[in-house]
Amino acid sequence: MRNITEGAVVALIGLGAVWGAYQVPPAQDGETWAGLVPMVVAVGLTLGGVLMVIGKLKEVAVSSVGTVAQSPSTVKTVIAVAVLAFVYQYAMVAFGYLLPTALIAPVMLYIFGIRSVVGLAVSMVLCPLVFHLLFFELLGVFPPYGSVFEPLDLIRS
Amino acid sequence: MEIFSALSFVFATPSLIGAILLAAVVGMIVGATPGLTAAAAIAMLLPITYYMDPLFALAFLYVIGKSGRYGGSIAAILFNTPGTAASAATQLDGYPLARQGKAGKAMKTATISSVIGDFMGDIMLIVGVGAIAALALKLGPPETFAIYFAAFVVIGSVIGKSIVKGLVSALFGVLIATVGLDPISGEERFTFGTFDLTNGIGLVPLMIGIFVLGEVFDQLEKRQQKVESLETSEHDDDHDGLTWKEYKPCLPHAVRGGFIGAAIGILPGLGSAIAAFVSYGEGKRRATNPEQWGKGALEGIAAPESANNAVSGPSMAPLLTLGIPGSTIGAILLGVFLIHGIQVGPTLFITSKELIYQLFACGLLGIFAYGIIGYFGASHVAKLILRIPSNVLYPMIFLTSFIAAYSARGSMFDVLVMVCAGVVGWLMRKYDFNTAAFVISFVLAKGAEESFRQALLVSDSGILVFFERPIALAFLLLGVGAILFRVHSMRRERKRELAGGLEDA
Repeated sequence: MRNITEGAVVALIGLGAVWGAYQVPPAQDGETWAGLVPMVVAVGLTLGGVLMVIGKLKEVAVSSVGTVAQSPSTVKTVIAVAVLAFVYQYAMVAFGYLLPTALIAPVMLYIFGIRSVVGLAVSMVLCPLVFHLLFFELLGVFPPYGSVFEPLDLIRS
Repeated sequence: MEIFSALSFVFATPSLIGAILLAAVVGMIVGATPGLTAAAAIAMLLPITYYMDPLFALAFLYVIGKSGRYGGSIAAILFNTPGTAASAATQLDGYPLARQGKAGKAMKTATISSVIGDFMGDIMLIVGVGAIAALALKLGPPETFAIYFAAFVVIGSVIGKSIVKGLVSALFGVLIATVGLDPISGEERFTFGTFDLTNGIGLVPLMIGIFVLGEVFDQLEKRQQKVESLETSEHDDDHDGLTWKEYKPCLPHAVRGGFIGAAIGILPGLGSAIAAFVSYGEGKRRATNPEQWGKGALEGIAAPESANNAVSGPSMAPLLTLGIPGSTIGAILLGVFLIHGIQVGPTLFITSKELIYQLFACGLLGIFAYGIIGYFGASHVAKLILRIPSNVLYPMIFLTSFIAAYSARGSMFDVLVMVCAGVVGWLMRKYDFNTAAFVISFVLAKGAEESFRQALLVSDSGILVFFERPIALAFLLLGVGAILFRVHSMRRERKRELAGGLEDA
């Protein structure tokens, strides 16, 4: 059943890519079509997905897929962290680097099993500070500027 | 001869020697830490190298890769967890030796064999790479595309559990690489009207996402698994010291492993793991004591460790001469070359010959550095790793991946790409797709498309141009042959498994 689902997803991605490649305007005289390679690849992906669905995979695979079964709660944790990663990225766009990092550092440590309140509190200060000093001061990278609020403005003023 | 002047340059630059020593230590720690890979460390450190001199940057990451391959053996022997995929072969005999209280002997055997294999691979690279580059200069677009095609097929089909999934992963990498403006006509592809996508998907955020953030997600899923560790009896000379009498039977296995690793290393995509297992199998077949293998034979460590490390040098040959990375580390190093404006390919040996030989010299020094540090300090490295709490390490890696992805181009869009790539990387691992094939194909795609379309433009016979040129045809057949060989070997393996199952029943 899982093979069929995986194959169907791959085939769907392939079909989406076929549609995307089809949107590329035709080539002018004497040129090759810019959508040629994307189209070939998209068709290949679709065929790969179809092959997986019709069970050809089983004939060549050494062992069945998914050897390590994970509990649904672990998968949920990973999904939660993935969502957190997207939120962190958007928070950096809105509030710059320091504030979101000060919030995300203890959350991540907690998820990975750190329960010391002092440790979590220290990470709120230490993580943004160390990363800021290392990358934005020492290496001279220009820090991301928060579009809504930028704590660096406050600190520098 | 260039290598001698390069070596004298390296020895005359103390800061470069310092960088090599640091890289040897970092690589060893990263390779020995279960769940962390040298590729992940290199991907994370890649943005820092923007601010370095090209030779420093390349040498630093190249030596981390070399030392990381060796470091995997420490975890395999002491923790019964291979630090890298290749060191799973070392684990077969390494852990039983550690259980017998001979961890020191096992680690010293692994160190010496790694140095022998790595040194052999590098010497073959230094001797042969110039000739390959000269040959590569004579290739036209049809031949170049055929080589790319063979690389895609080999990378996609040979590594991993499933041919279809491997090829799908490779195709997916090519598809992602086509996002953005067409390099020839300038037409938009898969941009969906988003301005940020017109520049395409960046190599650095993609790699950090796949190898670093994806690994954090993966570790989060596996974190219930405890690392088993053994105390090493460091002060017992009988158990820890390695005598010449003990190592002598290992030497032929180490030398053979060196040749096997070098031969496999030159083929794109096959990598250290395959070399290590082929060498282990071949070593056991030829051994005078095959019954001891798997129960704690020092030869069973020498054979795979030598092959594993011998891959490192020759895997640079297709990267430097054709721009085809043979491994994930090669793909990341290609990124470093591009960042510093160095065009990789046959002309590299005309434009940046000095730099390349200096890099090789740094590689040789790196082998020496990790050999010395590993021989005398592997058990200390192991103790250090046991002290690193993974519940602090992975959150820090999570945070580093964001800032590293941002630092590459100062773009928050790159951070978004990195997060998406992290999720994709985790899903690919979870469902047994091939992340290495995905990333290497992503890197290869641009060159492959250019040579494919150039070949079509200069040809009067259309697609047939690839079948009319003998070298191009040979490489196309090599690709097809690789798939057929893989299908055949998988069927044979399956039949053997079925037969074994029936006998058991």
